[in-house]
Amino acid sequence: MMCTAKKCGIRFQPPAIILIYDGEVKGKSRQRIMPVRNFSKFSDCNRAAEQLKNNPRHKSYLEQVSLRQLEKLFCFLRGYLQGQSLTETMEQIQQERTIDPEEDLNKLDDKELAKRKSIMDELFEKNQKKKDDPNFVYDIEVEFPEDEQLQSCGWDTESADEF
Amino acid sequence: MARDRAKACELDQEKYDADENVKIICLGDSAVGKSKLMERFLMDGFQPQQLSTYALTLYKHTATVDGRTVLVDFWDTAGQERFQSMHASYYHKAHACIMVFDVQRKVTYKNLSTWYTELREFRPEIPCIVVANKIDADVKVTQKSFNFAKKFSLPLYFVSAADGTNVVKLFNDAIRLAVSYKHNSRDFMDEVLQELENFELEQKEDDGPGQGQQEGTKSLAAS
Ligand SMILES: Nc1nc2c(ncn2[C@@H]2O[C@H](COP(=O)(O)OP(=O)(O)OP(=O)(O)O)[C@@H](O)[C@H]2O)c(=O)[nH]1
Ligand SMILES: [Mg+2]
Repeated sequence: MMCTAKKCGIRFQPPAIILIYDGEVKGKSRQRIMPVRNFSKFSDCNRAAEQLKNNPRHKSYLEQVSLRQLEKLFCFLRGYLQGQSLTETMEQIQQERTIDPEEDLNKLDDKELAKRKSIMDELFEKNQKKKDDPNFVYDIEVEFPEDEQLQSCGWDTESADEF
Repeated sequence: MARDRAKACELDQEKYDADENVKIICLGDSAVGKSKLMERFLMDGFQPQQLSTYALTLYKHTATVDGRTVLVDFWDTAGQERFQSMHASYYHKAHACIMVFDVQRKVTYKNLSTWYTELREFRPEIPCIVVANKIDADVKVTQKSFNFAKKFSLPLYFVSAADGTNVVKLFNDAIRLAVSYKHNSRDFMDEVLQELENFELEQKEDDGPGQGQQEGTKSLAAS
């Protein structure tokens, strides 16, 4: 089935994920309502997103919608169920998706570490030059001459014997 | 399945004494991008061996240095603290070290000193390259000075596993350094270590200079 996703959002009451897409007939937008069941304010948004994405009835429609976006929609729903304002939920999502630069990731368990890495993946994938890109170059050498380094990185301690 | 195959030759470190073999270790904190760098360098041409018990991924690579074929084993290690006890085996017989930090996270830069101290405890003389990864995230860092590298007179490479900047150069240079280290190793400690390995453990208690002895024992415990 050919389906071009245009918009994907969430309805709180009754809870449903709603997809606006272009179907086989060109220029005609359609709407698909996917009810959300068994979701409470304690639910795991990531799991809910995965389940929906793998749902045999919705799967083909959601191919172009990223897991990340679905997860975000479920987070909005959860925030609503917890009685949070939209702004509060938005801030929370933002915070959960940023890396705390001070945090020592060496101490995390596998699951938490994987979470941090998936946040990092967003920028990684955005900046990644892939092998199948037409202008991909395997060996890219760029020189960064030392005399251009005017500034200290700011991470070195003042005292001379510490770096 | 892959693990079974790995078991058979698991951590056979004898081969690193053979002329054409070199071992290069990749160190640094969790999530600095060690594995991504490896993957970028080797592209599809790699079949890594996952040794999960050692928190280690082994990448085999064949290179040509000055017309000679070199078999390179890259040891991609895990930064997580709970694998601390594996570190001795990482360092054992390594010929070069790639030490990575993340330009977006100060802690990973600060921790270089811990990694470096440990490295030098086991391998006092092997070449070491300091790598500032993820410069795609903020290219301005390439105009800044990082004193850690200067302080220990180590080369510093600005790279990005994402867009590929200087990745191939980094690994090729590391291979070259490893090969030349191996061939003109002036490392007294390493020579002592090799000597000691020919002895039985008890004998070692009596002979040899104190420092080398310590090192020998440490590495033997690891293998
Ligand atoms: N923007 C950007 N992100 C990167 C780059 N390299 C790695 N990353 C991100 O950093 C995350 C961690 O990279 P890994 O290669 O898994 O880190 P590692 O050093 O192998 O970590 P451990 O194996 O846990 O010690 C990846 O998931 C990427 O999203 C890079 O060059 N640029
Ligand atoms: Mg890794």
